[in-house]
Amino acid sequence: MTALVLRQDGPGTETVPGPPRRLLGLVVALVVLVVLLVLSVMIGSTAIGPSVVWDALFHSSAGIDQFAIRDFRLPRTVVGLVVGVALGLSGALIQALTRNPLADPGVLGVHAGASFAVTVAVGLLGVRDAQGYMWFAFAGALVVTLLVLAFGSTRQGSSPVVMVLAGVCVGAVLGGAREALQLTDPDAFDAMRNWNAGSIAGRPLEVVWPILPFLAVALVLAFAVSGPLNALALGDELAVAQGVRLVHTRVLAVIALTLLAGGATAIAGPIGFVGLMVPHVARWIVGPHQRWIFAYSVLLAPSLLLVSDILGRIVMRPGEIPVGIVTAFVGAPVLVALVRRKKSSGL
Amino acid sequence: MSNTPLTRRGAALAAALMSASLVLTACGSDGDDTGDKATEARGGKAAGTHSVKAENGTVEIPVDPRRIVTIGNTNLPFIDLGGKPVGVTEASESDLDVLPEEQRTAYEAAEIVGSDGGEVDLEKLAALEPDLILVQFHSNDWDKVGKKLQAIAPTVYWGLDTEWKAFADAIAEAGNVTDALSRQKAEFDEKVTKIQETYGKVIDSTSFVDVSRGDWSDPGTFYIADIGCSEIARDDIGLDLPEAAEGEDPLAYESLPFEQIGELSEYDVVTYPVDADGRPTEPFVPVVETNTWKALPAVSSGRALGVFCPGNNSYGPVIQYLDSLGSALATLPGKQ
Repeated sequence: MTALVLRQDGPGTETVPGPPRRLLGLVVALVVLVVLLVLSVMIGSTAIGPSVVWDALFHSSAGIDQFAIRDFRLPRTVVGLVVGVALGLSGALIQALTRNPLADPGVLGVHAGASFAVTVAVGLLGVRDAQGYMWFAFAGALVVTLLVLAFGSTRQGSSPVVMVLAGVCVGAVLGGAREALQLTDPDAFDAMRNWNAGSIAGRPLEVVWPILPFLAVALVLAFAVSGPLNALALGDELAVAQGVRLVHTRVLAVIALTLLAGGATAIAGPIGFVGLMVPHVARWIVGPHQRWIFAYSVLLAPSLLLVSDILGRIVMRPGEIPVGIVTAFVGAPVLVALVRRKKSSGL
Repeated sequence: MSNTPLTRRGAALAAALMSASLVLTACGSDGDDTGDKATEARGGKAAGTHSVKAENGTVEIPVDPRRIVTIGNTNLPFIDLGGKPVGVTEASESDLDVLPEEQRTAYEAAEIVGSDGGEVDLEKLAALEPDLILVQFHSNDWDKVGKKLQAIAPTVYWGLDTEWKAFADAIAEAGNVTDALSRQKAEFDEKVTKIQETYGKVIDSTSFVDVSRGDWSDPGTFYIADIGCSEIARDDIGLDLPEAAEGEDPLAYESLPFEQIGELSEYDVVTYPVDADGRPTEPFVPVVETNTWKALPAVSSGRALGVFCPGNNSYGPVIQYLDSLGSALATLPGKQ
């Protein structure tokens, strides 16, 4: 029963499950994700039988329901998977980088930057579709995070605390500017309503493909810095003593999380809670080992997103609720229950 | 309190200054300062008055008003009746794009006194010296500015839920343009009768559904239109179109995901919005581009009809809608 053995591991002092149990958990998370991917294709606002779904996926039949599966549910499921992976991993990165379990990508101004850029695009340039928003959101997220990085860098290097403060300040300023723009242009406000709620509905795969290379690079970078981030959790001095290059590690981590959060926001709009909650849950399961936290976040975050999206499709049939609203309703009670039940692992 | 006399003196001074500035504003607004548009439209003050009933009660207004300002949804219906307002609030570009040339000219000749969102520049409005103000907008906006408008000139206000025919009657009466209304009503009745007579068989034996999508719609959603022009097709022409159950919100209020497009298969004929040139409206293009739409029986058999609806708040645009609907019905097989 090695999988059940708890032992001291990682930089913290908590008892955590050993590698076999972590691996088993990872397999279970993968199975859950696969099941949710299948359910996401099978369940929607219209009742479509499993045989039709099978037919749509594996044959080129041209029925109305088959088109609905191929044109709407399949892209939506892929978008949910990609956005979920990006949100979960970016949340794990920001919590590790700032050593703050309450951090999410929003604290570096990612959402504020993306939202401001989209508001400018909608209000001043007349952009009205998801594909049009995409590059503005992505560019806004990148530019603002670089700005925060610059503001947060002192002569002594980049401090997570200063970076977070800079992120909060820039986010507040941009949030105010965005609100002002939206108040002066009610049409822009109306057009951005759905985008602001965060949704994976109505996004064609054409929105995903251009962002995917950036997310792939970010994924590699994230796992590459997972080891140094473990050492950083012990404090800057001990990390340096272990040979970690602080600035190098932080810059790579910020680049990775910006690409991930910026990409996810560009595709789906600002979806909160996933990047905050999932790394928490992952840390409770595997302890303070960043590589394992990252791996679990990659599997659990799309699961949370997909289950929320499925619920959003069926609770108000034939209408739908944007996934960004459902994640909060689904995630908050779960997180509260976990917090009450178990003490968080250290960072 | 030792500073009370000072405060009183300050208040008196402020009141005096405000009064002086109002007098100066009134003086400055007279004559050429209001601009050519206002000067051109200016005539003598109306002689007699009469009472009209509206949302804001019984209002005493001039029998023959000469300087009318229209606010909110009264702009285009009044112009549609041949009215020439001296002041208007902004209309959306999409509404202006479908206006007949002479109506657009009348709209552009008027001073803009506010946004389309209920904001009114009261100083600019007062400077136009209106003898009548016609208003239709949200009750919240009325609560904000209603009394101020009434202080400037007799003001007639209608709520947003006023039925369009009653609204046209009321505007025509208040604006003294009833002759134009009578002509429009006669034309409307004639066109309705013609459609009913020509396509009676189709109307009796066909199930219709009207679908639409606005530029405010969420991505990947559309709605079943049961209000606006669709309501006219159902209630005046007699088309078998779906409508919400009694006491429920209109179907149009519910956004449906694109995968619900397949549910339209149960209807014989699908109507959808097109522009004046017969092309699907820009917001509706994503719907017609889906494979699900193309696979609908109505679409593949030529029973998806594009219909032009430039507006549904006055007879002029409704008559254009009836023309478009009649032309669309003419393309159906076995139409007689």
